[in-house]
Amino acid sequence: MEEESEINITPMMDIVFIMLIFFIVTTSFIKETGVDPSRPEAETAARAEQGNILIAVTPSDQIWMNKNPVELQSVRILMEAAHAENPESSVVIVADELASTGIIIDVMDQIRLSGISKVSIAAREK
Amino acid sequence: MKRRIKKKNEESEINITPMLDIVFIMLIFFIVTTSFVKEISIDVNRPTKSPIKEQKKSDVISVRILDSGQILIQERLISLDAVRANIESSLALKPQASVVVVSDRDADAGLLVRVIDQSRLAGASSVSLAAQK
Repeated sequence: MEEESEINITPMMDIVFIMLIFFIVTTSFIKETGVDPSRPEAETAARAEQGNILIAVTPSDQIWMNKNPVELQSVRILMEAAHAENPESSVVIVADELASTGIIIDVMDQIRLSGISKVSIAAREK
Repeated sequence: MKRRIKKKNEESEINITPMLDIVFIMLIFFIVTTSFVKEISIDVNRPTKSPIKEQKKSDVISVRILDSGQILIQERLISLDAVRANIESSLALKPQASVVVVSDRDADAGLLVRVIDQSRLAGASSVSLAAQK
């Protein structure tokens, strides 16, 4: 009883470490596009597990990425950079209902030119 | 001096408090930055241009979307509700066929997604997207 009585913090450390490892493993840094278009409804839509490169198309056919409006010509370079950062990622195009199809196809072509084969279009669950 | 001698007798332990501080800060950082939000999306393919993968014309069910918002299957004008039934009957004749949505550049993306959705509901395994003009 003369000894200093201390709380044993080893179990707490274990738990904290496990939580830390869990969060490190599950964290995926999604870069917001900066705009929030209204997504079209779809019944067959599924959650994109690896989809963490987002690119948005507004109703006025502007392209947004990383909270900045970008030109169609620079989409490829941005995609290549994002792909190099995270080679397992796929791209989700967040297109507004009123955006035109042509710009989506142009963006998809640019994404494919950058070497990413998995592209999907964001939707809303019905 | 007295104190030192006393300390030598004690069990010497590594002080883990600074490590604990760092681990806690990292933990808080990861908790704050983690976003579990995943986009809900539908997969779309682009037709490949390589000749090996080029499909025979008979194996393709093409759905045309005009910029006026009208939908054409086999040159017939149909409504969005009829897309599913039309593709289902085409798939019954050609089970290996894939659906290609050919859209005018000015057509709305919302209509495009709905047509792709209806095609997938009809049982099409892969839906590709092509542009007119």
